[in-house]
This record gives sequence, C-alpha cells and structure tokens, in this order.
Amino acid sequence: MSNSATEMLVSACIRFLQAHPPFDRMEAEALCFLAEHVTLAHYPKGARILSSEMGVARALYILQHGRVRVRSSGGASNADSAPSTLGPGQAFAIGALMAQHPASSVYVAREEVFCYELPVDDFFTLTQKSTVFNLFCSQHIAGLLKHSQQQLQLQFAQRAAEQRTMNSPLAAIVKREPVSVAPETSIRQVVALMADRHLGSMVIVDAGEQPLGIFTLSDVLKRIVLPGTSLEQPISSVMSDLPQTLPLAANAHDAALTMAMHGIRHVLAVDEGGRLRGVVSERDLFKLQGAGLRQIRHAIDAASSLEVLQHAREDVRQLSLTMLAEGVGGQEITQFISTLNDTVTRRIIELNLDRHDLYGIDWTWLSFGSEGRDEQTFTTDQDNGIVYICTDIMDREQTQLRFLDFARDVNADLDTCGFPLCKGNIMASNPSLCLTLEEWEEKFAQWVRTPEPQALLNATIFFDFRPLYGRFNLAHRMRISLFRQTNGNPLFLRMLAQNALSVSPPLGRIRDFVTGADREHPGTIDLKKYGVRLFTDAARVFALARQVEATNTVARIKRAGALMNISPEDVAASLEGFNFIQLLRLRHQHFEQEHGRAGDNLIRPDELNEIERRILKEAFRQARKLQARLKLDYQI
Amino acid sequence: MAWYSRLFGGQETTGPALTARQQQLLAAWRQLPDQDMRRSHYRCRYVVVDVETTGINVKTDRLCAIGALAVVNGQIDFKDAFHLVLEPAAPADDPAEHPEPVAGAPSIDALISFLHFVGKAPLLAYNVPFVAAMIERTLAENLGIDLGLPWIDLAWVMPDLFRDVEHTETGLDAWLNHFAITSIRRHHAVSDAYATAQLLQITIASGARKGFTTPASLLDLEKARRHMHQSG
Repeated sequence: MSNSATEMLVSACIRFLQAHPPFDRMEAEALCFLAEHVTLAHYPKGARILSSEMGVARALYILQHGRVRVRSSGGASNADSAPSTLGPGQAFAIGALMAQHPASSVYVAREEVFCYELPVDDFFTLTQKSTVFNLFCSQHIAGLLKHSQQQLQLQFAQRAAEQRTMNSPLAAIVKREPVSVAPETSIRQVVALMADRHLGSMVIVDAGEQPLGIFTLSDVLKRIVLPGTSLEQPISSVMSDLPQTLPLAANAHDAALTMAMHGIRHVLAVDEGGRLRGVVSERDLFKLQGAGLRQIRHAIDAASSLEVLQHAREDVRQLSLTMLAEGVGGQEITQFISTLNDTVTRRIIELNLDRHDLYGIDWTWLSFGSEGRDEQTFTTDQDNGIVYICTDIMDREQTQLRFLDFARDVNADLDTCGFPLCKGNIMASNPSLCLTLEEWEEKFAQWVRTPEPQALLNATIFFDFRPLYGRFNLAHRMRISLFRQTNGNPLFLRMLAQNALSVSPPLGRIRDFVTGADREHPGTIDLKKYGVRLFTDAARVFALARQVEATNTVARIKRAGALMNISPEDVAASLEGFNFIQLLRLRHQHFEQEHGRAGDNLIRPDELNEIERRILKEAFRQARKLQARLKLDYQI
Repeated sequence: MAWYSRLFGGQETTGPALTARQQQLLAAWRQLPDQDMRRSHYRCRYVVVDVETTGINVKTDRLCAIGALAVVNGQIDFKDAFHLVLEPAAPADDPAEHPEPVAGAPSIDALISFLHFVGKAPLLAYNVPFVAAMIERTLAENLGIDLGLPWIDLAWVMPDLFRDVEHTETGLDAWLNHFAITSIRRHHAVSDAYATAQLLQITIASGARKGFTTPASLLDLEKARRHMHQSG
C-alpha cells in the first residue's frame, strides 16, 4: 500500500501543529507520533463537542479550524465563570483526560469546526514520549488546580458571609422548645429529665412562665454530689437565682457579651411578657459562628472556661475539615489552624495568668516546630517554651520556679483542650526550655558553634521559634542574636544544609515514586519526612543565611527567594508544590481520623488519581530544585 | 502465463494478462460484501477520490494519479489514505498546460491495491462524471473489471444543501473558499481529495440536520436534483 498519501497528510498536520505552542517546542519524533495518530473530525456550528454528560473524556482535542466556546458546567452560576473561546492550535480536555473524569466544561462549536482528535491511549503514550508535552500537561493541570481552588475559596467566602452571623436575633437561634420545671420539682426528677433529654441545663419557671432560676450540669457536681445534697429536695434549693435574660430581639452578640460579663454559659431568651422562650448556650453561639474565623476568635477571646475552649478547639477542627472538603488550599488551612490554635493558646495563658502572678517580669511564650512555622495540621502536639528576663542573678532560680509552675498548668490545660503533651518534652514546663534570654542565647550559640547531629536536629525545631504571648521583643532579640551566631559560623550553615540534603525527594528513576523507605509500611510515602520537611529544611537554611526573620516556610521561600534572585515563577512553583503536599497530608489525616485512626502522614501513591500523582511528582521535583540550590550554594 | 490466467480468470478475461495472485486478489475484492448504504454517515465508510490527468477530455486524456481518503464514521484518519502515481511513459500531449502530470502504464498491482483500499464503499468526488470516467476506464482497461460502486457527486449535493451560499467563483475552489478550507497543494490528487473529504464532513453534518442521514439519502438527493435540472 502506498504511504505517500499518509506522509503528505501527516507532514501537513505537523506543519500546522508547529505553528502553535506547546507543539512548536515538541520533539520531532513525538510530534510525528501525534500527527500520525490523530483523526480529523468536523463539528457544525452549534454542535456540542464535549461535555460532562458524554462520560469520561476519550480523546485530546486540538482545534484545527474554527472557534469553540467553553462554558463551565455544573451548578456554578455564570457570574464566576465567564465563558471563554478557544481558537486554532488550542488543545482541550487535558485535565479530564489526565484525571480520567468527564470534562467539567461544555465545549460548543461557534462555527464550522475541524478538530484533530487523539485517542486517550495515544495521549498517555505521548505524555511519556514527550517531556515538553508532559510538562505542558502538568502545568496546565497545576493552573487548573489553582484556578479551581480560587473558585472554591471565593465560593467559600461568599457562603461564610451569607451564613447567619452574630447579628442574628436570638429568635432565630433558639430552635428547641424550652424545657422547664416548677420550683418544687425534686432534684431527682430534674436530673432524670436532663439525662433523659440530653439537656445541659434546666430552667425553673413560676406559674406564669417567668424564669426563676437555672440549673446546669456543672451544678450537679458542685451543689449536689460534693455537698451530698438529698435528691428529694426541691430544685429551687440548688438552682442559680435570677438567671440572665435577654429579649428575643436581642442578637447573638448581646448574648455573648452577657455571658462574658457575668461569666456564665447560658442566657435565657424571653418574650415581651418576660416568659421563657428558649435557652441560648455558649455552645449555640459557637455553632452559630460556624464558618467565621473572626467570630470563632471572638468567642475564644471571650471564653471563660476550659470547657468552652475545648468546644472551640473542636469547632476549629470542624471548620478546617469543611475548608478542606471545599477545596481550600493547604497554605490557607494550615495557617487557619495555626491562627486559631494561637488564639486558644493565648486564652489559656490568660486564664492561667489569673492564678499565677508574673507581674513585673518581662517574658514571652514561645512556640517551636510546626507551630512556630504556622504550619499546623490536624494532628499536632505541643512544642513550646518560655523566655524571660532576670535582672538579678540571685532571683533566677526563684523566678524559674514560678514560670515552671505556671507552664505546667498551661501545658496541662493545652492538653485538655486537644493539644497533646509533647512526647519529647519540648514544653515550657521543661526546665531546660524555660530560660532567661541570656541562657537561650547561649544555648543557640552552643548549637551553632558545635553543629553535632543533636545540635542540628535541635536547630530544625527551635530555630523556628515564634513569640505567642508576652513581650514579643524578647523573641526579636533572640533572633538577632541567632543571626549574629549563624553569620559568624559559615560551617554551621553548611552543616545545616548538608542535614537538609540527607533526605532526597522520593522520585524514582524507573517508577514514579520510591515507596520503600518505611519497611513497616510498604507502598507508602511519609509525606512529612519525605515531603514537607524537604521544603521546610531548605527554607530554614535560606532564611538563616539571608537573615530573613520569618519562620513560616512559604514566607521564608518568598523573602529569601527574592534576595537569592530566584525568579518569582520558580518561587511560585515551589510554593505550589509545598502547598500541594500539605493538602495531601491534611486530606489523609482527615480521612484517617474519620476512620478512627491516629492521623499519620503515610500516603499510598497508588491510591491517588492520575492528576494527583502527576502533581505530586511535580511537587517533588520542586523540592529537588530547592535542594539543588542548596548544593550549589554550599558546594556539597 | 496467459493460459494460466484464463484458467482462473472467470468471465472477464478479455483484455489484460493477470497473474494467478492478481486474479486471486481481484476475486477476493469481488467477494467483498456490498456496503449498506442505509447506515448513518457516522457509522459507515466513504472513500473520497480525486485524480490528476493529462487533460480534461475523458475520451483522449489519460489518468496520471489517484488520491483517495477514507472518511470513516465521519472522521478522517491520515493512515487510511491512498496515493497512486501511474508510471510515466510518453510525455504529455499538452505540456504547456499541464507540465507536471504524466500518463503512463499503470501498475496492475497498484490498481489492485486501490481496489482493495476502496473496498465496496460508496465513492465520493467533486465532479463525478469526469473523475469516475477516468478511474473506471483505467480499471476496465487494465484489470478488466467493472467497478460497479455508487458514486456521489458533491458538485450536485452541496448546492442543494447549502442553497443560501452564493459564490463568485465556481467549482471546488468556490466551496473551499467559502468554508475557508486550506489546501496543502491545490491540484495534487491527495491534497484535493483531503480538501474534498473535509467538504464531505461539512456536507454530512449539514445533511444530517436536514434529514439526509445516510449515503443512500445523499444519492437520492443528487438524483432528484439531476432529474430536476434535466427536465427543467
């Protein structure tokens, strides 16, 4: 059979493709493969070329002639997704092909359209044959991902704004018919009723439904169990008199204020006649604030007890899970968790300051590790310390004892509120982490001067310190002193760089990923050790070498990157890689916790879809680029 | 080997001497089932052809090249294409007007390959009377066969389907210009067949919307129009 016809048609197709990116840069052999394997299809004006109803995308489309209108399908309104137009040389459905999903947009011919179509199998062969094309697809997808995340964040923000806020009237908040009893009801009956209906509180009313008092679960312990009160006594003998009431028209903010002012957890909503209409608890207010970061913060700031903070911590968790489910980026979520955890921690410190007199001493509560970097995930334990100023050397021991007492309480309260005690005892209650400024400086200097393995390990935890409460300028002084040390000891930075290079990205030469690192968990990659840490370790060296004060990895790479003449595109690419790995971690931890397991960081690349595997690979390549820079800088 | 070919050749052994292998291949082609003309455009195979000749006289001019392309299920696959250049022999009788194409003794094997490329698909061309005559005569003379396949002429079908299109030019160029189809190399048989195949794609899409969903319906459309023109 004569092939000169095929040759002629194929070379004409190649000439066409060569006029358009990315095909203009494509390897000759791959381009030839592409041209040989496409078919030419025609679509009349108005015809649907591709849409989600057509099922999993089966071909790559490259427009040869005519224009195609792209409209995003799905529930999104037209406002946030303006239709776009594709013209000759543009390819589509890459994302759907890579993910093996139906297309998320509708592609309609605006005029007579001719399309080269490459079947899906040939498409994947092409991505393997051509690095240019592969890169094009990865970048395309990274772009899509970014775009979709932005969309989701936008939607999320809108929804959060639409949600009921602290301005809603109590009438809107009170859902349940209030359960009330007469004052002569026996304690036994009331407690039984509360247990039966799962009530946190019981309101005692008179014959006219006017509230006389309130009795809550916490009263059971203090007023009944401990004093040994008889259960046959009337409830009026143990209730709190004159409960705080607000009209139904008052808003949630008023309720929060009332609770804060009186140190109570329940407010009664009454109608104009003063009759009981509902009970609003502190918990209701939390639920109400649902999505709002600021409002949760307010609630935390106003919290008067650990119990409330425990709830708050759960709310933070719930909200970050929602954010995760809604596709908000890894950077935003970790920052969000860290911010709210900071707020909870600060509140716990404040509550403890009422019991510990530290007046007149300059001190700062420090956080280290992931907390210090603002990169907390769902599973996070405590990493903290204290720095203080001791003017008189004679007082030092006494002062430290006071701080240790205080720290022990804070550590315990943090534990109660869902921040487990640190197994490695990296906590402020540890005497070696509750030090004066001079002692901290000396400690840091010691590690920098003699960078032995333990010192380097310490550097990766403690040099990411961040002040959380107290006199922040103490932390600043610590940082200045640290920079002075690291700058005077080039060997230290070199050792730290070497330490950062001790773990390589788990990219395989033959297979996509190297998964054997952990023998107990074959087929997995530890995304903390072999993922996030690659970025944080490199970023730390960059930051220390360029005296960048930031501890957050993203901020470090951004600021140090600018000083190191790394192009903004490269910086953005490595941050995207880092954030993607964080996102995978968060998602995995969430999944594990949903299934009642402790959230680890072990993910199975085989269980990721094609698109995620490709992005993960790209993320690891970005880590490798950062490491290459370290090697270059320190001649390792 | 004339005796041999007569033994196996069947009825149509008037002209050429064919080898046993060639006879076998011809017999195999004859036995191919006819294509169902009532299947949808998008479920069938069309073969679009174009020719290069020494001139425009069907009787005296000779075939120089055939370009052919299949349109299968509505799509063009570059691997499903055919180019036949007849081996050059005598110089063309009018070299001034057609400097390139040269008629020659066609290779029997190449013509048989062409037959097998076509199979029993309906043939489609622009200006069928000329293209069909050239191809059928060459096949009859060299292989001693009657092609016997339906031909569809875009020159008749398209004006009916695209009535509101007004051309300043005439012929194939007018349609190519109207639909902005660019030729690889105009007047090259493969290039023209490719361009015609794209016109066919446009035609079947438009036809399908107007109820002409099969090759048979295009044929009917063409017949009706010819009839109207002849009687009118």
